[in-house]
Amino acid sequence: MSRELHFDTLVVGGGIAGLQTALDLADQNYQVAVIEKDATIGGKMIRLSKVFPTLDCASCITTPKMAASAHHENITLFTYCNLKSLDRDSPESVTATVTQKPRYVDPDKCIGCRQCEYGCPVYVPDEEQGNFNLRKAVHIPFSNAIPQIAVLDMENCSLCGKCARVCPTDAIDYFEQPEDFIIHAKTAVLATGFELTPIDQKPEYNGGKVQNLITSMEMERLLAPHGPYMRVIRPSDGKEPDSIAYVQCAGSRDKTLNVPYCSRVCCMYAIKQAMLLSGALPLADITIYYMDIRAFGKGYEQFYQNAKAMGIEFVKGKIAKIEQADNQYVSLRYEAQEDGGRVVEREHDLVVLSLGMVPGWTPQGVCQVSCDTDRFIKSSMPQIAPTVTDMEGVFVAGVAAGPKDIVDTIAEAGAAAMEASKYMTALGKQKAA
Amino acid sequence: MSDKKKQADKEAMKILRQQRKQSIDRVRGAIKSQNKDIKSIKDALKDGGKTVPEITAATKMPSSRVMVFVATLKKYGMVAEGPKDGDYFKYELIDA
Ligand SMILES: Cc1cc2nc3c(=O)[nH]c(=O)nc-3n(C[C@H](O)[C@H](O)[C@H](O)COP(=O)(O)OP(=O)(O)OC[C@H]3O[C@@H](n4cnc5c(N)ncnc54)[C@H](O)[C@@H]3O)c2cc1C
Repeated sequence: MSRELHFDTLVVGGGIAGLQTALDLADQNYQVAVIEKDATIGGKMIRLSKVFPTLDCASCITTPKMAASAHHENITLFTYCNLKSLDRDSPESVTATVTQKPRYVDPDKCIGCRQCEYGCPVYVPDEEQGNFNLRKAVHIPFSNAIPQIAVLDMENCSLCGKCARVCPTDAIDYFEQPEDFIIHAKTAVLATGFELTPIDQKPEYNGGKVQNLITSMEMERLLAPHGPYMRVIRPSDGKEPDSIAYVQCAGSRDKTLNVPYCSRVCCMYAIKQAMLLSGALPLADITIYYMDIRAFGKGYEQFYQNAKAMGIEFVKGKIAKIEQADNQYVSLRYEAQEDGGRVVEREHDLVVLSLGMVPGWTPQGVCQVSCDTDRFIKSSMPQIAPTVTDMEGVFVAGVAAGPKDIVDTIAEAGAAAMEASKYMTALGKQKAA
Repeated sequence: MSDKKKQADKEAMKILRQQRKQSIDRVRGAIKSQNKDIKSIKDALKDGGKTVPEITAATKMPSSRVMVFVATLKKYGMVAEGPKDGDYFKYELIDA
């Protein structure tokens, strides 16, 4: 028999949208469960370097929200979990079946000391650092991960037993199995966020197989204080780059990729990264190749103008070809639209693809909520109540509903919490009547 | 832990190792080649700090692989970043 748990609201996704929703509901005394598929909460935001338009350190503003959620008496976090099904059985109840993936580490015993990690003899590419360096088979995802509990990657474990021998609390359990449990709640909020379009999709970009051609998320890691090199250097050979370029709309506004929409944040994060790069590498030339700049939010146009004033070069032209050049340079070919339309080829030390945003999760087969033509979760009243879906008492927040920045994500999370609270208040009134 | 429990755990581990033999063999192969690469990088650094292209020349490993290992050794406290030499940083052994 599976364990059954009862809450007021189930939040799916522990990114900034899910955490803000959970905090807003928990502060109103609702009991909230957050399920997160990764071993840590925080979503994309905790993996960013700094955030536009304020250039605040992302970790400094995300970590307090993560810690507040972890320590809130009305919030229970379930990390490293898969959502198997989510159904509404009555107006008062949604039921979710959740699978706890095995960590092979007992969360109640692990004290996060990392002795297992230091002892482990297996090095594995660290996906949290863009695979630019290696982690151990047993590891804590990153230094500000919450919870600070190790996870053992069984696929890359040699079962040598070293981690179990050095663990001071006997927390390693090689025999752990996935375990299903059931959550009953009155409402649910879907905050499943996004992923970037894959780097290898475009043949004209050589399927992404070009040295020193990286994704925007990988550049976030290079710029982050706890990044793989703790400075910006070329991944191919450690050279400090003299020239860095951004390729905008590398995965959005592109019908060939089935992503015809604008991902909204790419212009702004490219400008942000360009500014951070010109601070870190004052002598480097930074170029942004764009179709048009969409500086949509409050203060964003000024941010763009500041970047131009700092000497960042903006070139209007869609990149048609990306190739490896000599000495590990990356060659870009484009039509210079503001220079007579001539075809130009330029080489850069490091090139960043501003890839598009696609949904982080598809509800198909798990839950009956509808998706829009862009495959993000459909809002049934986009103008007047954007967090309401076509599943009763199930709401959506953040990028799960469509591309947006952190400011809009936080505002939408507050709105989703309010809708959930309103739904539960109405249920209470119906009962009383 | 009682002797009986210890023996049972040993037996259970033996069975688990048999079940996972294929992946264990693959991982053991990876450990061997990683250790070899780490040793060649450390050997290359024994006579003083070097840049990634210099380590690449000394070890004959692809430079991108050298970069990954240097970053990893730095993370786990075995190598430190040294002074700059042209466009590149030198890396030094910490226990040299
Ligand atoms: C390179 C880059 C830089 C950016 N820089 C900025 C910036 O400077 N300023 C700014 O305002 N915005 C920036 N953004 C946008 C910002 O990242 C998003 O607005 C924000 O992260 C959205 O938060 P979210 O919680 O909706 O989604 P996410 O951060 O994607 O979080 C979703 C969470 O849900 C989890 N999840 C997904 N599916 C499931 C499931 N089935 N079950 C359980 N959990 C699940 C995921 O693991 C994840 O933890 C940037 C984006 C990129 C790509």
